[in-house]
Amino acid sequence: MIGFPTPAAYRSRPLRRSCLVSAILIPALAGAAACARPANLDLSLDRPTDHLLFRVQVASGSQPIPLSKVHQWSLHLAAADGRPVTGAAVGIDGGMPEHGHGLPTAPRAEPAGTPGDYVIKGMKFSMTGWWVLKLDVAAPDGRHDKITFNLVL
Amino acid sequence: MTWWKLGAALAALVAIGTQDRTPIWSPDELEVFRTLSIDGLGPPPADPSNRVADDPAAAALGRALFSEARLSSNGRISCASCHRPENGFTDAVPTGHGVATGTRRTMPVAQAVYSPWQFWDGRADSLWAQALGPVENPLEHNFTRMEVARVLGTRYRGQYEQLFGPLPDLSDARRFPRRAAPAGDKHARNAWAGMAAADRHTIDRIYANFGKTIAAFERTLPVRPTRLDRYVAGVTGKGPPAPFAPAEAAGLKLFIGKGRCVSCHSGPMLSNQGFANTGVSERGGLPADSGRADGARKAIADPFNCKGAFSDAKGGGCDELEYLVVGDPRQVRAFKVPSLRGVARRAPYMHSGQLRSLEQVIDHYNRAPAAPRGTSELKPLHLTRRERAELVAFLRTLDDAEGAGHAR
Ligand code: HEC
Ligand code: HEC
Repeated sequence: MIGFPTPAAYRSRPLRRSCLVSAILIPALAGAAACARPANLDLSLDRPTDHLLFRVQVASGSQPIPLSKVHQWSLHLAAADGRPVTGAAVGIDGGMPEHGHGLPTAPRAEPAGTPGDYVIKGMKFSMTGWWVLKLDVAAPDGRHDKITFNLVL
Repeated sequence: MTWWKLGAALAALVAIGTQDRTPIWSPDELEVFRTLSIDGLGPPPADPSNRVADDPAAAALGRALFSEARLSSNGRISCASCHRPENGFTDAVPTGHGVATGTRRTMPVAQAVYSPWQFWDGRADSLWAQALGPVENPLEHNFTRMEVARVLGTRYRGQYEQLFGPLPDLSDARRFPRRAAPAGDKHARNAWAGMAAADRHTIDRIYANFGKTIAAFERTLPVRPTRLDRYVAGVTGKGPPAPFAPAEAAGLKLFIGKGRCVSCHSGPMLSNQGFANTGVSERGGLPADSGRADGARKAIADPFNCKGAFSDAKGGGCDELEYLVVGDPRQVRAFKVPSLRGVARRAPYMHSGQLRSLEQVIDHYNRAPAAPRGTSELKPLHLTRRERAELVAFLRTLDDAEGAGHAR
């Protein structure tokens, strides 16, 4: 017999459901999504680092954030007291938690010339959805902290 | 059951199958559909490394060279021997047959124009660098760049010189041996090593130009709308209704939902142009294949890459190569995410033709077997038999055989 879907199969299901909800309601799907998007994603691009040692502000050089195109971001790094931090090493990682893949390119941060300012070169997002951008900041005085930004394209 | 009863039952089935029961899609779903439509494709991305990329005269020369069988050791193999237009520019065999049988499956060409990386392992960073590979591959054209320069000189001199200036005099056999290349058989390699560096550079330059004309031709190949594109136009109010059969619509829903296909097969090409390990088995009897892990290193080492001496990209324009990921363990046995446009006509499937049919492909995704090496990104899908059939039905809507060409 040819399998026609029941009308129920047509009824729209929200695409963006939380990790927890799909795990409970649809056990078959629990393992499928590496981790679905949390409900209240913090989309701020100007935030203190995990242990509050620094404050980091990032912004895409092109608006809206381009898809499948290598582009640059700016980064401003300040200490907790607001003074700019120059000469830091900033490691960049990230990816799509829901799909279990990393960034398609290997971006690098370089000093931009002005105090606390850096440029991130080689950024690329290959599809729409929830991306994380993870920065690992090592200041010249040896202090070290991390931060994860969320982006929804 | 009597015949008329069977007939009536069949007629009823057909009626259900063709009825316009357009599913009610959510705004989120419609948004995803739009990202898959050919409308979002646009012209091929610019290639700053190829000065003649969009030159019609270069494309005309490239078109002739694409099917030029003189560019092979036995005079019988051209690009078109494997990339046959009637098979969606592939050859319907598990691994390509040139002068001998290769290790990877032939890939379609028109779709490749939209990717920053060529080959299953992405070891070439442009179409023109890609075109130089098969010519000297002993299993494919088994030719040498020196011989390519000679064929251009004897058969295509006028067309070539109009684009790139005068070809050098290659008649001195001591300076320019008959067969010479840095790879290939020992004889050709020795002959190449014996040449003056400046002469080698001259031949490399001609070889690169040869590749650039082929790339110019490939950039003119049309990507045609599929039934999916017409369906999406219909449900988003951009075109007349072009209904899917219920199974096809259900397959589309699975493709963007439970099947998670769209996490890799995204965008108008149904490919994120990335690389992934999907646990496809290694084909018996072939050398071990590490996929992207090797491909990324080879791309950096390729003298014909975007940053090399023969690239026209001066002072930038090589971002993909510049920020290439290298040495990531996730690249082991990761292969290029292929475009699914025209996929139904391209059996067998995967990088070495490991899977014979779309049914086998869906079965593979459903089981999500462990990778022979590296780690598969897939998780079992727990699809019912009906859902598997629906996904196959949907993949068949991606056929680009019918309809008009996508205007370029
Ligand atoms: C013997 C069969 C054969 C011949 C001849 C051949 N190819 Fe291919 N082609 C293949 C195979 C197999 C692959 C995949 C190879 C790999 O990944 O290592 C491929 C890959 C490609 C790709 C990459 C597509 C993508 O999406 O990455 C392009 C473009 C291409 N070939 C164009 C050409 C051109 C141009 C020529 C002639 C100069 C040519 N091919 C000659 C079999 C062939
Ligand atoms: C994690 C990324 C990923 C996901 C998810 C994914 N694919 Fe693929 N797909 C690939 C890659 C990579 C290949 C090529 C693999 C190889 O050759 O080793 C491929 C190959 C294919 C092919 C064969 C195409 C050809 O020309 O050989 C088909 C058909 C296909 N996928 C359909 C699907 C469907 C349907 C789904 C959802 C059930 C899906 N894919 C999910 C990455 C993915």
